[in-house]
Amino acid sequence: MKRSRLPLVATVAVLLFFYLPIVVLVANSFNASRFGTGWQGFSLSWYARLAHEPEIWRAARNSLIIAFSATAVSLVLGTLAALALHRFAGTRLQRLHFTIVYAPLVVPEILMGISLLMFFVMAGTSLGLVTIFFAHVTFCVSFVAMIVLSRLQDFDYSVVEAALDLGAGWWQMARRVLLPLLYPGLAAGALIAFTLSIDDFVITFFVTGPGSTTLPIRIYSMIKHGSPPLINALSTILLVITFTAVTLSQRLGRERNKVKL
Amino acid sequence: MERLGSRSLSVAAAVAAVVPCLMAFVFLTQCGKAKPVLNIYTWADYVKPALLSRFEKENACRVEIDTFESNEAMYAKLKAGATGYDLLTPSSYMVSLMHAQKMILPLDHGFLPNLVHVDPEILKMAIDKTMDHSVPYMLTTTGLAYLKSEVKDFKPSWSMFDRSDLRGRMTMLNDMREVIGAGLKSLGYSLNTVDEKELAEAKAVILGWEKNLAKFENEQYKTGVASGEFLLVQGYSGDILQVQRENPDVTFAVPEEGTSISCDDLVIPQGAKQIRLAYAFINFIHDPAVAAENTEFIRYLCPNKDCYPLLSPGLRNNPALFLKPEVRAKSEFIGDLGGLNRLYIKIWDEIKAAK
Repeated sequence: MKRSRLPLVATVAVLLFFYLPIVVLVANSFNASRFGTGWQGFSLSWYARLAHEPEIWRAARNSLIIAFSATAVSLVLGTLAALALHRFAGTRLQRLHFTIVYAPLVVPEILMGISLLMFFVMAGTSLGLVTIFFAHVTFCVSFVAMIVLSRLQDFDYSVVEAALDLGAGWWQMARRVLLPLLYPGLAAGALIAFTLSIDDFVITFFVTGPGSTTLPIRIYSMIKHGSPPLINALSTILLVITFTAVTLSQRLGRERNKVKL
Repeated sequence: MERLGSRSLSVAAAVAAVVPCLMAFVFLTQCGKAKPVLNIYTWADYVKPALLSRFEKENACRVEIDTFESNEAMYAKLKAGATGYDLLTPSSYMVSLMHAQKMILPLDHGFLPNLVHVDPEILKMAIDKTMDHSVPYMLTTTGLAYLKSEVKDFKPSWSMFDRSDLRGRMTMLNDMREVIGAGLKSLGYSLNTVDEKELAEAKAVILGWEKNLAKFENEQYKTGVASGEFLLVQGYSGDILQVQRENPDVTFAVPEEGTSISCDDLVIPQGAKQIRLAYAFINFIHDPAVAAENTEFIRYLCPNKDCYPLLSPGLRNNPALFLKPEVRAKSEFIGDLGGLNRLYIKIWDEIKAAK
């Protein structure tokens, strides 16, 4: 029987659909043309100009501060929430807890943005990095909790009891038993929280204040009045950093496995 | 197990160490810095950076620029209660809405000696003619951009959209007031009319044009006309001047029947903290030398009559920036129509549905 070509065609089509726009973007970041209307020659001028755009770098710095701090805090809170949800599943309190944690995943972003803004205004907080940080933690916690919770589904709680029974203190148990078992869930949760935080636009737009413009907001406003090629150059740099990080982490993971064997 | 355990510990320790540091950093960057800060909320790349540094030096302050990408988004944010901005640059129609809602402060001209330089011809057309609460910052004209080598027998008129030999190679803006406004102007009516008979006539004209249009489009037309995909487009002068740097064959013309002029204004919002600095900035921007430098950079026109002679000849003689007096007499600012906007929305829906 002849094998169908359909899977191959579908795979290639999907890969093209995903990656062709990125290839075009990277290519255009080296294009001398401002509007990407055609190839007007290789140029690094957009990268050179990027170096003289303090506003963009400030926005990038803000984005990183928020992404790292929101990831760290939501990782801790989300994991604790997941532990409680799993350990006491079925009680009325935890069913309520689950609804509360789940809600930010389904509430439309724009609604969350506006309501957070109104809350901050009512509370008399001045808008800035701190309010963005709180807003990001609010939605990141839910994602972390759900991911860690799914990791806990096949988690046998008797391991924890056994450890405690054998004389481990709570901290020792958490460090030696709980964390190693949850590690993949924690890593996945942290990655998704970081990703969500660093490219959030809608919620951030509402809760950002003077001097705390983040990268997505800056980029979006540049599309209207600014220079598109600068955005291409910036995105290319971000892509390179991301790919390097992913490759490094994969390589490190492989080497660790080898040692184990 | 031991290896895994120690790794997890290091992760936990790292988290525990990083969080307080970052939080401290977040709070420190929020306050600190003794210099007063002027917070400007504006479009991206809308002031020449070198001028900002000069203003900072002269006034011993720091300028923070935050950016929005549409008047409506900025309005929604401020309306919901966001504060902390000292100076805004919304478009005129949004200024009148914000003024009606008491969201901006009246201006004390005693702090703004440079207002004597503002072009009185432009003020005559403006919505806030006395600069009671807003000072015009940058102007742009809606007009026609075309490829000189491709479009034969061009004449500066909205009726160019009737030319069936250009069918499928022309675009108009995806903006209700600009398109219906062009239709009204081609008939000699005001583009702020609320007369239903005039609007119905304009609709008939636009339905005729629509057969020849590739699409209604706000962003891609720049690329399209630069690459030759489109031969004739309705566009903003500021954008077209940037396209001309890329493709000198692109030519801008203002239709003789008149057109719309848009203006972004400088306003001080309610709740501004650095009002003195905000006044200083408005005054600084309208210093003729500064206005000329800013215009050269942004390629929109700062309506400051004493900066005009300081502009480079390329801009000084540019029809996109300086309209002929008889054309300007027929041109208008797009005003806010309030509830009567529905007349335009109805026609716009019918035009969009006809495509």
